[in-house]
Amino acid sequence: MKFWGIFRFELAYQLRRPWPWLFFAVLLVLSFLMSRDASLAEALFEEFLVNSPFAVAKTTVFGSLIWLLIAAPVAGEAAARDVATRMYPLVYTASVRESEFLGGRFLAALVINAFLLLAVQAGILLGVYLSGADPSLVGPFRPAAYLTSYAFISLPNAFVATAVQFALAARTGRTMAGYVGSFLLFFMGFFIAGALLFGRALGTLLDPIGVRFIVEDLAYLWTTVEKNVRLVGLEGSVLTNRMVWTGVGLVALVGTLLTFRFVHRAEGALWSRWTSRGRVRRAGIAGATLARPPVLAHVAAPKVERTFGFAIQARKALAIAWVSFRSIARSLPGLALLVGIPLLTVPVVIDQMESAGVPVVPTTALVLRELTASLSAELSRWVIVPFILVFFAGELVWRERDAGLSEITDAMPGSDWVPLVGKFLGLGLVIALFLTMLTGAGMLAQTIRGYQDYEVGLYLQVMLGLQLVEYLLFALLALVVHAIVDEKYIGHLVAVLAYVFIAVLASMLGIEHSMLVYGAGPTWSYTEMTGFGGSLMPWLWFKLYWAAWAILLAVVGRLLWSRGKARGWGVRMALARQRFAGATAYIAAAALVMIVGVGGFVFYNTNVLNEYQSRSAVTARRAEYEQKYGRFQGTPQPQLAATTLRVELYPDQREANVRGSHRLVNSSTRPIDTVLVATSTSAVETRTLSLDRAATLTADDPRFGHRVYTLAQPLQPGDSMQLDFEVHFGRRGFANRGIDPSVSAKGSAFTGAAWLPFVGYQRERELVSAADRREYGLPARPVIASLYSTEEREPTARGGGIAFDATIGTSEDQTAVAPGALRRTWTEGGRRYFHYTTDAPIGREWSFFSARYAVHEDRWNDVTIRMFHHPAHTAHIERTVRVAKASLEYYSREFGPYPYRHLTIVEGPGAPGTGLHADASMISHGEGFPRWVPPTDASRFDFPGAVMAHEMAHQWTLPYAAVEGAPFMSEGLAWYSAMGVVRATGGEAQLRRLLATMRQPNPYPPIRRGEPLLRALDPYLSYRRGPFALYALSEYIGASQVNGALRRLIAIHDAPGAAPATTLDLYRELKAVTPDSLGPMLRDLFEINAYWQLDARGATARQTPAGTWEVTLDVGARKMVYDSAGTEREAPMDQWVEVGVFGAAAEGAALGAPLHVAKHRVQSGGGRITVTVSQRPAVAGVDPYHLLDWEHKDTDDNITPVKISM
Amino acid sequence: MTAASTAAPGATLAIRNVSKRYPNGVQALTNVSLTIPPGMYGLLGPNGAGKSTLMRILATLQEPDSGTVSLGDLDIVRQKDDVRRTLGYLPQEFGVYPKSNAADLLDHFALLKGIGARGDRKSVVEALLRQVNLWEVRKQKLGGYSGGMRQRFGVAVALLGNPKLMIVDEPTAGLDPAERVRFLNLLSELGENSVVLLSTHIVEDVSELCTRMAIIDRGEILLEAEPLRAVAELRGRIWRQVVSKDALPALEREHRVISTKLLAGRTVARVHGDTSPGPAFEAAEPDLEDVYFSTMTGHIGRRSEAQEPAVAR
Repeated sequence: MKFWGIFRFELAYQLRRPWPWLFFAVLLVLSFLMSRDASLAEALFEEFLVNSPFAVAKTTVFGSLIWLLIAAPVAGEAAARDVATRMYPLVYTASVRESEFLGGRFLAALVINAFLLLAVQAGILLGVYLSGADPSLVGPFRPAAYLTSYAFISLPNAFVATAVQFALAARTGRTMAGYVGSFLLFFMGFFIAGALLFGRALGTLLDPIGVRFIVEDLAYLWTTVEKNVRLVGLEGSVLTNRMVWTGVGLVALVGTLLTFRFVHRAEGALWSRWTSRGRVRRAGIAGATLARPPVLAHVAAPKVERTFGFAIQARKALAIAWVSFRSIARSLPGLALLVGIPLLTVPVVIDQMESAGVPVVPTTALVLRELTASLSAELSRWVIVPFILVFFAGELVWRERDAGLSEITDAMPGSDWVPLVGKFLGLGLVIALFLTMLTGAGMLAQTIRGYQDYEVGLYLQVMLGLQLVEYLLFALLALVVHAIVDEKYIGHLVAVLAYVFIAVLASMLGIEHSMLVYGAGPTWSYTEMTGFGGSLMPWLWFKLYWAAWAILLAVVGRLLWSRGKARGWGVRMALARQRFAGATAYIAAAALVMIVGVGGFVFYNTNVLNEYQSRSAVTARRAEYEQKYGRFQGTPQPQLAATTLRVELYPDQREANVRGSHRLVNSSTRPIDTVLVATSTSAVETRTLSLDRAATLTADDPRFGHRVYTLAQPLQPGDSMQLDFEVHFGRRGFANRGIDPSVSAKGSAFTGAAWLPFVGYQRERELVSAADRREYGLPARPVIASLYSTEEREPTARGGGIAFDATIGTSEDQTAVAPGALRRTWTEGGRRYFHYTTDAPIGREWSFFSARYAVHEDRWNDVTIRMFHHPAHTAHIERTVRVAKASLEYYSREFGPYPYRHLTIVEGPGAPGTGLHADASMISHGEGFPRWVPPTDASRFDFPGAVMAHEMAHQWTLPYAAVEGAPFMSEGLAWYSAMGVVRATGGEAQLRRLLATMRQPNPYPPIRRGEPLLRALDPYLSYRRGPFALYALSEYIGASQVNGALRRLIAIHDAPGAAPATTLDLYRELKAVTPDSLGPMLRDLFEINAYWQLDARGATARQTPAGTWEVTLDVGARKMVYDSAGTEREAPMDQWVEVGVFGAAAEGAALGAPLHVAKHRVQSGGGRITVTVSQRPAVAGVDPYHLLDWEHKDTDDNITPVKISM
Repeated sequence: MTAASTAAPGATLAIRNVSKRYPNGVQALTNVSLTIPPGMYGLLGPNGAGKSTLMRILATLQEPDSGTVSLGDLDIVRQKDDVRRTLGYLPQEFGVYPKSNAADLLDHFALLKGIGARGDRKSVVEALLRQVNLWEVRKQKLGGYSGGMRQRFGVAVALLGNPKLMIVDEPTAGLDPAERVRFLNLLSELGENSVVLLSTHIVEDVSELCTRMAIIDRGEILLEAEPLRAVAELRGRIWRQVVSKDALPALEREHRVISTKLLAGRTVARVHGDTSPGPAFEAAEPDLEDVYFSTMTGHIGRRSEAQEPAVAR
């Protein structure tokens, strides 16, 4: 059969080429490296077996991503080789049908691609079983893990990608069009699925590769146990996604088979056929020559002057640049880049100009954050750009040869620099236009959102200054790689690998110094308060350093530039030696001088002025700290009771000096003779350190910031001593990561924890990751102590009760902020000073700020509220103060008095986000917070207000122990409290909107796993399940009962000397106020991980003779429990559940006026509930307010419309 | 930058002992030496003889393994850029950017050839396009050109900048008769004070125009001659006989058959011989084709010298 003949020929042809084998080797090596990479485990604070089904699936996904980007020639060749080699007239006239021909070719490409993807699985197997893998992380060999990943991820990916690449290549007749197909799919996965459609479900569906459903969804949805044992199955979102994309592949394939015709290629593209309609041109014009008799012609070309100097070379380069630019700009991929992506960017930017569903003012600084990314940001949506640059670079380098013109152009006079420089400039022009279009897209998005303060200068500076350089450096690399490799597909492969190295491999291989990764360097940052801060200078030096390398690269590219028929390395090297003369040699020398000069300066900054530490060195140091000094853990130490600081900030010099003293009290029952002092190891220089009593320094290890003093006279219980110190923050050039922005001209922000010395062994300096600990032979240690361990209850947050006094000086035009109440401010020696003291004890988290603040003052009872804000940021003041006052009012009524007579709300300079942070008596927020605009319409939901209420609630966070459940004690209680403020200020309607917002899977998707709420660690339990559980309880037993329990808990643990609280203390208080009948529910909520699934399956109503309405509601109900291993089982349910019947809803509201809301007993499986209401019902539901059933659904299935039967 | 040394008008192209071997083992050129004075010079040889390799070396696109090539004082291998300034090259096969038109692309090439002034370029482009008869279609996309039109476009490119060394590789293959004549006329005009090297397998191209020629086969120069004199030297040595197809093998065994041709259904065999090979033969007026075939079959030229002792028949 011809089909099989074609198939066999294609298979054999391609397998005899070098590139499939190169692709195979590359995939094998990269998959091997990825399977050893533990970054995901680190990100999730969990360990998996390296050969767990989840880990295999994860590497399979990234393996197919790399396959997609490099292996496009397989399908491209199969579909378009005949046209590309101009052999098609022979093939197309053979007696074979289009479908047989294309079908055979497609199948061969698919088989080769499926074979290539086997390299990924082989790489994983090598990663697991070759020596070097951590043996304790290797689980039993399960063939099913590899088979399911291959079958459900690799094969569908291979099918859809091959089909799309094949379709494009067949249609255009260009083998390189296969890459365009790859970009399309890649773009879907990274740009569209990742950003535009923020809705999780749709994004997951639209991702053709699997990054979303494996790396994002399953990573959070599966329990650790599941990740280790559960196979990726064709179910749920995975199944839908695979079906959608297999369908897309089928459509592409069938479309190609049906529409492809064996016709002459000069018929032209659809587009030109369309545009030339109606314009009939006679071929006779060319034929007219025949009519003219051949006469002896004179070579009549006028004698014109020709020049060959530098000027004409430059003009030639510009001409080539323009021609190159036009060729890209007029191609379909070029149009996609220059028009398509910018157009799509507009809705993306608009979509991103919100935080948690609340719009953010689209300032230029914020929009620029969406439009830019450093080259190495591998998860940014702009990761598509480097790949497109590689493609265009290849097209430009090969342009003459592809057109068959190279022999003519190569024989023209002129330096080999001309084409290289010209093409680089052409590509640069494309990038510049792309960035200009993106600027336009950004401005358009701003305009659509009604914002008109465009800051064109800033746009130009960032887009055509910073971002352009970022891309230009890579564009040159891509051009030179293509020029050197001189094999189109392999050049593409090498250039893509170069990018993969820059973005991923370098850090995976432990190459972290930015002087070793092409184009790398510290990133710049820009905010409205601080401008670029100090971030531009190091950025510039690194880019200059890499520009020098780029020039050297260009020299290499020029030396090996393909001109004429010189093939083979011997010939090319000989030619290169011949070319290495004159200007080229001078340029190379200049580049080398620049590399050494600038590189030396950068190195002096990063490694001499600053300490350079690789991640592994940091890990080793942490391990060593624990090995050397871990024995001090548990050594009784005096506790910090009071701190006095004298802070001198010199913003313009980027320097600071802090002198201070800690008062330390022996609060234990035994004398203390050894005092451990931990100083900062990197941020600041600790200049002096002294105790106010006789002591010998028995150990001083500056590498670890560890000192041990032995007291001549032990410190008796109850006695106190003083530790005096001076630390200095100096200007020290820049480090590998840039400049420490803590102190800078326009705004400073730093914390005491990072700078000041503290007493005791610092447990947070120990290694946490289990794999690291094993590697250094350290005993396993949990992320946090068990809830049931009685030792190690270190106080956090408000605990500790420290008296704090700080005098802080700064430049005359700035205002400095420190914890405590502002007592006095004065000017002295051209500097402004501020004196802050606390009027009640605070914790150990101290933040300091200085900037040109405007200050807004307000009062609530005897509390002074001070807001320090950027003078231009004023929109948030009124609403923030309003919430602060309401919170003070509500919390002090419900939970006890606010301990301070001041409240500081301060804008953190340089922090771009909308986030807030609460310290005792101080709330700081990012520069995004003032730009976060809640709707002015009172009926709409005010999320920023709720967040502010949450941060205010932290002022009532009781001292809790650093054990399991701590995040619940902090965040869970604060959110539950904030619900009360939202209800008090906005009523039930605002509260319901808050609850609906919290039920959405962003940003905390439900994580169903073993630990119950009492041992909460993950964000879902602490930020969501915790407040939901408390709220449900408050609705069952009354808010006053729950709030009373919390008030008692705070009173007990806030008392001086009281032990910090744990969730067990909270649980005891809650039990005390919960009636026995609700005991099981309390247990379900807190002690075990139970979830209720309730749905209204249908409701009917009929009018009784008395005129009332009898409503019959069918409900479904079940209760699921996740045990400690993370496995799910159904548990019997017998539960009071709210049942509601509602009248017709007003427009926009989900529920109308309640006609009946009462708790009914509901058992597993549900049943039928009948209630009688007085008015005509419209909607009925079970758990209509989602007290128990928290799952977010697009259409609420807890309620159902009531059918009226007559 | 080296001082611009240009080939003086009337410089001679000297090829000395040039050899070239491809990495796959094919010996493309073996010890080729030629001296080519200004004027039209024909390089005649069968497919795969090494013509194009030699042409590419002369056009600075390929490096010889050994040997030297010079144009006047210029070393073609080492002073590539200087050579390129006076070079016109029309490769055997070439393509075009299908989306540009002749005027734009020729203008672009004119710039690449060093014509800086826009006005100069315009007049040169117009003159050349008129010369090759493409002026009317200058705004058409090159992708729509026929093979011959494309070839003429290539000629125009090669003529840019009044080259002193013109290398044209099988130029007439795609031209219609009228254009072929026009093109050859152009070349011979150019040959009045430039070196024009024309490679071809079409004997007429050489016989009609070239003052000198060389025959090359399997990388070796078999004959270097003036066409007219070479033909004259064969006079009285070429014999023809009309034979039936069946008799041909016997004839080939017994005589030095240099070519056989079908003529109106009969086979005409031509035989080389210093004396009449037999009564069935009649004397034939030799032409350049006979020179070519006699050389290829080893009856005259270098191959005959080398084979002389071995041919015992």
